[in-house]
Amino acid sequence: MNPLELTLGIMTAVGGFVDISELVFAAKAGSTFGYALISVFFIGTIGIIVFSEMSGRVAAIAKQPVFNLMRHRLGLSLGLLVLAGSVISNLITCAAEVGGVALILNYLTGAPYFLMAIVMTALMIISIWVLPFKWIERTYGLLGLVMLVFLAALVAIHPPWGQIARGFVPQIPAGLSTKELLTFGYFCVAILSAVLFPYEVYFYSSGGIEEGWGPKDMLTNRLTSIIGMGLGSTLAVAILANSAQLFGPANVDPEIPGTAALEAAIPFGHWGLILALAGMFFAVAGAAVETCMANAYGIAQFFGWKWGRHKKPWEAPRFTFAWIALFLLALLIVLTGVDVMMLVELAILFSILVLPLTYLPLLLLSGDRKYMGTNANGPLAKTLGWLYFFIITAAAIAALPLFTLTSGGNG
Amino acid sequence: MLRSPILLLLLLIAGCSKGPDADLQYIKQARSLGAEWALINEQAAKGQLTQTYVASMHQWLRQNLETTATSLTQPDSRYGLEIHALLAQPDDAPPAELRGHADVLKHIEDSLESA
Repeated sequence: MNPLELTLGIMTAVGGFVDISELVFAAKAGSTFGYALISVFFIGTIGIIVFSEMSGRVAAIAKQPVFNLMRHRLGLSLGLLVLAGSVISNLITCAAEVGGVALILNYLTGAPYFLMAIVMTALMIISIWVLPFKWIERTYGLLGLVMLVFLAALVAIHPPWGQIARGFVPQIPAGLSTKELLTFGYFCVAILSAVLFPYEVYFYSSGGIEEGWGPKDMLTNRLTSIIGMGLGSTLAVAILANSAQLFGPANVDPEIPGTAALEAAIPFGHWGLILALAGMFFAVAGAAVETCMANAYGIAQFFGWKWGRHKKPWEAPRFTFAWIALFLLALLIVLTGVDVMMLVELAILFSILVLPLTYLPLLLLSGDRKYMGTNANGPLAKTLGWLYFFIITAAAIAALPLFTLTSGGNG
Repeated sequence: MLRSPILLLLLLIAGCSKGPDADLQYIKQARSLGAEWALINEQAAKGQLTQTYVASMHQWLRQNLETTATSLTQPDSRYGLEIHALLAQPDDAPPAELRGHADVLKHIEDSLESA
């Protein structure tokens, strides 16, 4: 197997795990609750591996992307409702990523934020138009690996590895007040939502079809999900652990994305800072492309349009129009001057609400022997799939009350 | 069906509250922004950061602090005055001074949380 085939998983995961929301949430989680929330990342990571592997398998065997399934399994009305929820959630997320890219460029170059948002949207549109799908995933996936500087920074600051290891065990920190317990609960739900963002499986399964996956690609699918998501999760945990070590004791709860870059600047100086900002830039730009394309894939698949970047843009005109329009809409949201962090919080809230209905059709079809034959879910995939379905349903029910009671995790 | 009235009630409670309890989240934000500002100035003094990054972070921190200050329901309270004192600091204020304001806000925050 060519190692470059893993780039679909790497781009999906880097764009999913270390996007603008995780840069702030992981850092905030570490500074507020130390290493206690590492376990939620760990649990969420297994969940996203389970569902992305399932979606890749369904794409390879049944040749069905997620939104096709949704329409057939949920019916038109409920399917439309999920589509609407997903489109709103992905659009807000995409706007947050576009704003995030502009912010990071502002930290790097000092150029005006709104100008950077316009320039970067234009460049991202051109990159999707010009590059074949394989090169889109390779460019954003591989350049996003510069984020590994956060892992190097963690090693360099000599953290308490024993405490980090204990963070993988689910726990509630002792001595929390009721208010702090609610905030802890909100962080658990928000991290699960951010790790299991639905756009990751829309993009991943559609990417599998773009790449022409078939039954022979089962190993590629499995490795891509495990290595890609595992890597993304490792980076998010590194950001959390750095924050617990550097920001918590200094009373800093990172409020803006640029704070995370300090994690690499403190041990490595100028170059650490520049590498961290560059990694963040590529990861967040990858996430912007991923959310925009995931949205266009969803709409095109739901309405049965021709879709895919393996086609020339004019061979799938409605799909092409959709992703360009969605990018421009995201830019328009940013240009209203709305706070990027508010967009992040809204995106997380919206996506947790649509998560159960996104994953249910996938779970049903991947276990259906009529479509999947011998590649239907085995006992492990079935057990884990349903377990995670109940976890995300519980999280979806708790999300809105926790968001309200904790003012979006601000206590 | 049962969830909607409960959520409406929660939103009303959150929206109607006033005073130190309602301001607690802004006190926390201001404390964190002050501490972050101190950390940046400390690292900048050690030559660990680029000038562009420092200038940009100062601009965003100040902007967020201003938003926090205008969101307070009691701007003339002790914490309100402390946040305004923080805002009055120059961008390159000594880290110890900034940390001093952040510590006062932390103290107010802790006393409100334990009340």
